Amino acid sequence: MTATLAQIRSGRVFYLFVAPFAALTILFGLWPILLSIQVSFTASATALRAAPTYVGFANYAAVLSDPIFAASLARTLIYTGLSVAANLAFALAAAMLLDSTLLRRANVFFRLAIFLPVVTPDVAGYVVWRWLFDRSFGAINAGLAAAGLPPFGGLASVDTVTAAVLIAELWHHAGFYMLIFLANLAIRDKALEEAAAIDGATTLQRWWFVVLPQLRPALVINLVYATIQFLKTFTVVVVMTKGGPSDRTNFVSYYAYQLFDQARYGEATAMATILFAIVAVLSLAAYRLGDAR
Amino acid sequence: MRWLKRIGGAVAAAFLAWTPVAAQTLTVWHDLGDNGIAWFERMSAEFAKARPGVTVRSLSFPTDQWFGRVIGALNTDTAPDLIFNNYERVIRIETQTKRVMDLKPALESVADRGFLGEDDLRVATYGGKMIIIPMQRVQMALGARKSWLDKVGEKFPETWDDVKRVAAKFRDADPDGNGRADTFGFALQAAKPRDLIHMLDLFVFGSGLRHTLVDPAGKVVIDQPAHAQVLEEFLKTYSGYRFVAPDTINHSFPEMYQVIEGGRAGFFRVGDWNVRKWYQPAVLNGDFVSGPWPKFDSARPNSVVIGGMRGIAVPENSPNKAIAVEFAKFMLGKPAQQASLETVGAAVRKDLDVDKLSPRSQYFARAEHRLAAYDFPESIHAWYPEIEAAFHRKLLAGLASGSPSSPTPRARCARWRRGWRSEAHPLLRRRGGRGGRAQRGWGGQWRRAEPRLTSPSARFASCHPSYRAARDRRG
Repeated sequence: MTATLAQIRSGRVFYLFVAPFAALTILFGLWPILLSIQVSFTASATALRAAPTYVGFANYAAVLSDPIFAASLARTLIYTGLSVAANLAFALAAAMLLDSTLLRRANVFFRLAIFLPVVTPDVAGYVVWRWLFDRSFGAINAGLAAAGLPPFGGLASVDTVTAAVLIAELWHHAGFYMLIFLANLAIRDKALEEAAAIDGATTLQRWWFVVLPQLRPALVINLVYATIQFLKTFTVVVVMTKGGPSDRTNFVSYYAYQLFDQARYGEATAMATILFAIVAVLSLAAYRLGDAR
Repeated sequence: MRWLKRIGGAVAAAFLAWTPVAAQTLTVWHDLGDNGIAWFERMSAEFAKARPGVTVRSLSFPTDQWFGRVIGALNTDTAPDLIFNNYERVIRIETQTKRVMDLKPALESVADRGFLGEDDLRVATYGGKMIIIPMQRVQMALGARKSWLDKVGEKFPETWDDVKRVAAKFRDADPDGNGRADTFGFALQAAKPRDLIHMLDLFVFGSGLRHTLVDPAGKVVIDQPAHAQVLEEFLKTYSGYRFVAPDTINHSFPEMYQVIEGGRAGFFRVGDWNVRKWYQPAVLNGDFVSGPWPKFDSARPNSVVIGGMRGIAVPENSPNKAIAVEFAKFMLGKPAQQASLETVGAAVRKDLDVDKLSPRSQYFARAEHRLAAYDFPESIHAWYPEIEAAFHRKLLAGLASGSPSSPTPRARCARWRRGWRSEAHPLLRRRGGRGGRAQRGWGGQWRRAEPRLTSPSARFASCHPSYRAARDRRG
């Protein structure tokens, strides 16, 4: 006990500086999460009252037996997998291209072009994408028609809506992942590549065996961040599809939001808690997987 | 000493006169936007003549936010004095809070209430309580662009066949004259189940049918030939006929209004509240005509549809309950109703002055055509919203699988049937349909209706061959 007190005393300046941020984190980070979890154990009609009625795991049972939630969760997981793979692949390819000397003077232009969507307000960006995909006056179908190609179903078809949403999200997010890759590429040890080249390694071999292993930190960060990002996909759905057509983009976050809208707070927060647990587990798994040596 | 007493008396009198002014501000939460705010301002000024010092302050929220805020406020004892909205929305507030006051005694104390019909009072009642005092009947007619009708040489359609013929011309004959194929026959919406049922209800009730899914006894009606015909044509409007914008399946109210007000659709829904805005030069500039929904069968009269009833409700935990009830009663009076008609475009009284209104508004105010009201099943069957949502989820699935990406009608129907089998049957089993047990929480009427509901699976999918065969057998 004395030793602990002595440690705190010796590090008091550190704790003094940390205290305000710790308090803010607890107040605005942890406290709402705990409150949300608490609401998930209450009856919706009483959830906001001073003395709510607790119903145990009834809301969780209701959510887990809801076939729409099961379908929504499956779609969310599939969409997350596809989006993470597509975003990281595109960002990595773009970063490699921009890190090379192929683009020369155009390098700055392309960096800007790929990163600019990240700082664009997401709602505005998705509204524009919705117009681009519009089947009656959208630019994409106009272009396809001009090229004599069949029309793209876009947001109006169950067959293409996931791809359409994925493309819009890739446009918005990939620049950020690319930036992380570029930062990692900038600090890599280029002497290793030169040594490998002298030893006779081909370009592909150098990339696979020398460059890619050095990008592990960026890969791990991007993998974890993208997994979290796409599991919580929400804004793009609200703006572009409202969960449709035929629930094809009714991802868990949006479904929970719909329940909130119907004042079904207990089930909605139960759903949010389940999603939170999935995000935490998958993120941890992705981190462990990426960090394993 | 006398002057001191006089001053004291004056101060006391001033204090007494001032006290009610400070204490009596009524707050109303609604979703009527600027029109509603203007209406409540006019009523506040009128009410203050009878109750000096009492002011009424109204706040308008988007409908989605209105729900959350009202439910939250009623459940946390921070309720406003009054709430105003459609009856079915107040029903949801009541089911979530159980804190909406029974206004039956208040209404019975109003002598001048003969203009409220039996239907008006029925929709105001839920769970034995009169949860709203009816204030505005919501009328919805079929609208058409007048200049487009002139351009294609047609009159306002009377029958569904007329509508189809004219809608095809609206789509193909460049009625806006811009040289581009950018116009549509209809503006509809389908993004959410509630959007879709709203549109279907207009077709159903406007064509003279009395129920959409079930009748008041709980008997399923959707597989009856007359209903199936309307449903089939309604679905084809979205798909096979290609009358709507291809993205309509993702359209909700805002997008539907974009199509209408952007001048891209020939037929659309006109609500009594739309008329004022659509007279503005920047919107439709009055270039539209209204009429009843089309006839599907010459034996059934067509109508303009009363699609809802807006009313005032008082929370049990209203901060100024007595004066709030008094104001609710005042809203039925002629001055308040006249203001309602002139600002919002709807009312319930029949003795109002309508001469100053625009011709399109007068069409609604004078009720120039036969009116048919929704059957308001929510006020009878507590389980109705859930089965309605489930049904329309199936309709949306059907529409989605009938999207243009499906190569042929046969393929679309096949996909529809697969969707029905995989999605609807488990739902019905859960609700006590074929192969399952009836479950708690569903009304006896619903269980009696099982055999009909679980009969031909193509009930929701009018393209199913067995449905057609059954229909043909029935003649």
